[in-house]
Amino acid sequence: MAERAVVTRTGGDDVVLEVRDLAKSYPVRRGVLLKRTVGEVQAVDGVSLTLRRGRTLGLVGESGSGKSTLARVLVGIEKPTRGQVLVGGQDVSTMSRAERRHLRRTVQMVFQDPYTSLNPRMSVGEIVGEPFRIHPDAVPARGRRAAVAELLELVGLDPDHANRYPHQFSGGQRQRIGVARALAVKPDVLVCDEPVSALDVSVQGQVINLLEDLQDELGLSYLFIAHDLAVVQHIADEVAVMYLGRVVEQGDDAAVYDDARHPYTRALLSAVPVPDPTARDLPGEIVLEGDPPSPADPPSGCRFHTRCWLARQIAQQSLAGPGAGTEAGGAAEGDGPVVPERCRTQDPVLVRLGAPALVGAAGGPDVPHTVACHFATVPVVPQEPPDLREPVDRSAPADRQEPADRQDPADRQDPADRQDPADRQDPADESVRS
Amino acid sequence: MTAVGQMTTSAPTGGTALRAAAGETLLEVEDLAVEFRTPDGTVRAVDGLSYSVRAGETLAIVGESGCGKSVSSLAVMGLLAPTARITKGAARFRGTDLLALRPKEHRRYCGEHVAMVFQDALAALNPVHTVGYQLGEALRARHGVSRGEARRRAVELLDLVKVPNARQRVDEYPHQFSGGMRQRVMIASALAMDPEVLIADEPTTALDVTVQAQVLRLLAEIQAERTMALVLITHDMGVVAGVADDVTVMYAGRAVEQAPVREIFAAPAHPYTRALLRSVPSLATRGAAAGAGARADAKAAGGRLDVIPGRPPSPGQVPSGCPFHPRCEVAQDVCRTDPPPLAAIPAEALTTAAPRAAACHFALDVLGGARG
Ligand SMILES: Nc1ncnc2c1ncn2[C@@H]1O[C@H](COP(=O)(O)OP(=O)(O)OP(=O)(O)O)[C@@H](O)[C@H]1O
Ligand SMILES: Nc1ncnc2c1ncn2[C@@H]1O[C@H](COP(=O)(O)OP(=O)(O)OP(=O)(O)O)[C@@H](O)[C@H]1O
Ligand code: SF4
Ligand code: SF4
Ligand SMILES: [Mg+2]
Ligand SMILES: [Mg+2]
Repeated sequence: MAERAVVTRTGGDDVVLEVRDLAKSYPVRRGVLLKRTVGEVQAVDGVSLTLRRGRTLGLVGESGSGKSTLARVLVGIEKPTRGQVLVGGQDVSTMSRAERRHLRRTVQMVFQDPYTSLNPRMSVGEIVGEPFRIHPDAVPARGRRAAVAELLELVGLDPDHANRYPHQFSGGQRQRIGVARALAVKPDVLVCDEPVSALDVSVQGQVINLLEDLQDELGLSYLFIAHDLAVVQHIADEVAVMYLGRVVEQGDDAAVYDDARHPYTRALLSAVPVPDPTARDLPGEIVLEGDPPSPADPPSGCRFHTRCWLARQIAQQSLAGPGAGTEAGGAAEGDGPVVPERCRTQDPVLVRLGAPALVGAAGGPDVPHTVACHFATVPVVPQEPPDLREPVDRSAPADRQEPADRQDPADRQDPADRQDPADRQDPADESVRS
Repeated sequence: MTAVGQMTTSAPTGGTALRAAAGETLLEVEDLAVEFRTPDGTVRAVDGLSYSVRAGETLAIVGESGCGKSVSSLAVMGLLAPTARITKGAARFRGTDLLALRPKEHRRYCGEHVAMVFQDALAALNPVHTVGYQLGEALRARHGVSRGEARRRAVELLDLVKVPNARQRVDEYPHQFSGGMRQRVMIASALAMDPEVLIADEPTTALDVTVQAQVLRLLAEIQAERTMALVLITHDMGVVAGVADDVTVMYAGRAVEQAPVREIFAAPAHPYTRALLRSVPSLATRGAAAGAGARADAKAAGGRLDVIPGRPPSPGQVPSGCPFHPRCEVAQDVCRTDPPPLAAIPAEALTTAAPRAAACHFALDVLGGARG
């Protein structure tokens, strides 16, 4: 850890990859012969992210929220409909051919689907060595065989299997072939789309440890997309949460995991399955009501309002109790859930919360904690919704932890540092605890 | 969830009279072995696997990547590649050995009783047909419904698995779906078969945790309603803890431990299970104090995840004696020479009446907390 901190600190400030207000939409076509465009799916709609050298940005979010689309645009497989991708400070759209070729080497991708992203007619050795053919200067021809063997070994595969074909491997083995291929030309940036989802926890741990070692040694930067929030927590320095094409919350990992402010992030964290069968029937998951909206027809105002538990709570309180609802504004009944007027009509932008900490939790550069919610800091009179639970210590089986250690307040960075004490009272936190 | 009810009541086959009583053993795999011919010789991907699952219950199968979970399931379904050969064993559905049937019979029989959600969601979908067409064809083949009816139910199924805007999306092609949506299409098409046994191979890997929770709840509801038996192959120990009744742990092509879910998490009897559970990264959050403290601990401890040292054996080169011995922290001399059989744990060592079994010479010590 000490070593890592040093690397992060020295290389911490240079931005290797940046996206500004990125959007990508796909046409929706109808008709059998003559396809007419009848609308568009806004897969990604105005995302800005910054990735620094030697750091890992975790990207989590709802299935279908645009994570893979964003990744494909980042590595240049698809063109954005709006916005910019900057690599090393240079706009990708203005690059020359040669520059773009170089770019394809510096930014590599591990694809989400380990089955279809590997050419079934190529042997595994050819697949992993393919980047050498595209970028011949990466490794001299004589050294390539050995390089391929080394890469396979690195990801925990048997180098003797280089002459086998993808269908002869299991799901998790194929996933690691994808990781080996992406590492072949020693990229600066690795965009990993669910790189470990098909791996058992032990092999997954090996791949993550490998990625972290490479980061320490070579200063690699990762954009790490995953649904496993524990894995993201482990590997990421910063986390961005996506919902329906947008980033709704972003910050260093401590801020997002311990002080989540967006109601979607909170629901996500509450739904992480606990590896403890005795915790099965404890209440606590925030169940999102309603169906996920379509990116072809996003809801008005805040895109989350059709499913937001916080908005419903605020609206209920403003209807019920005097004084409580001034901030909420007139909650009106229409079709759909009762939510504050603002949630239905105004699109919240990402705003920075409170005062920043001087040094980020991981010792890296300061990362602001930003949230896109009108009520991110508004205190709410605690109420007891039926589907919110007591905080449960959801850690692993009893024999593995020292509760005394975990509670030690001295160990933690004080969240009060990060924001104004006046804002401290946390609406959702209160309701979860009460 | 009225849609679940509609689906069931409108399903013309699988009438309730035929439905198994909860608790009846539906699928029983016994001593199954599968080999592949490869240029470097024969490799044994599954080597004496046994498990069983009862109506209305969930069996989770966990194990390292490449240990034979998918291959054994494909063997049960009669869908192995031509280079594969089943060298021994049986897979009995209500007493009928599926592996003894002719290939065509086998698949027809499975079509009526056993369905599978494949691990490779995209490869299993046909890129040239719309999602709705593929779901519809499955329904037509299974239930003989009209085209219009098939389409109506396809929309219903997509709705059921929470694909947004199902009515419109039903006419789109698989590549237009996100990874998680494709996975849900696979689940929907397996459910369309109205199976008595569902084998789900990593069905939720591409789903965010809230959608995953919804899909798991849906499966549980359908399971309860139809007393369906579920074989759930997964790497996610949180999911296992949340939904399984029993757990089978596989290593190198065979079962090394079998136990009810609570017991196995509380006190594993096999060193591999124990090491696997230790490798589970846990989420440090909830009540900020505990969370930040735990993370500080984890990061201070070198920031590395616990892993089992060494590489899982390739099916071609399984070690002598106990296949886990090169990586086992408590291996003794006997482990290098004598393969331990999967043996029942004596009742006096158990905390509940439910039987347990483990394939380790020192299972009782491991269970008792001795040895590591
Ligand atoms: N080629 C395409 N044509 C039309 N729509 C598309 C296309 N690719 C993606 N989409 C749509 O864009 C949205 C975002 O998809 P994307 O694959 O980026 O999601 P994701 O966040 O990666 O989801 P998951 O976690 O399920 O993989 C989805 O609604 C998807 O259906
Ligand atoms: N067609 C094939 N030819 C040769 N070997 C094969 C073939 N298919 C699978 N194997 C091997 O059989 C073993 C078992 O594969 P299987 O797909 O069942 O693993 P799994 O347990 O499902 O793993 P994962 O969790 O990674 O999906 C693997 O080591 C794999 O390499
Ligand atoms: S702005 Fe309103 S609807 Fe949107 S997340 Fe905040 S409370 Fe919920
Ligand atoms: S039999 Fe020996 S090597 Fe195998 S798991 Fe038990 S103790 Fe370890
Ligand atoms: Mg994706
Ligand atoms: Mg598999």
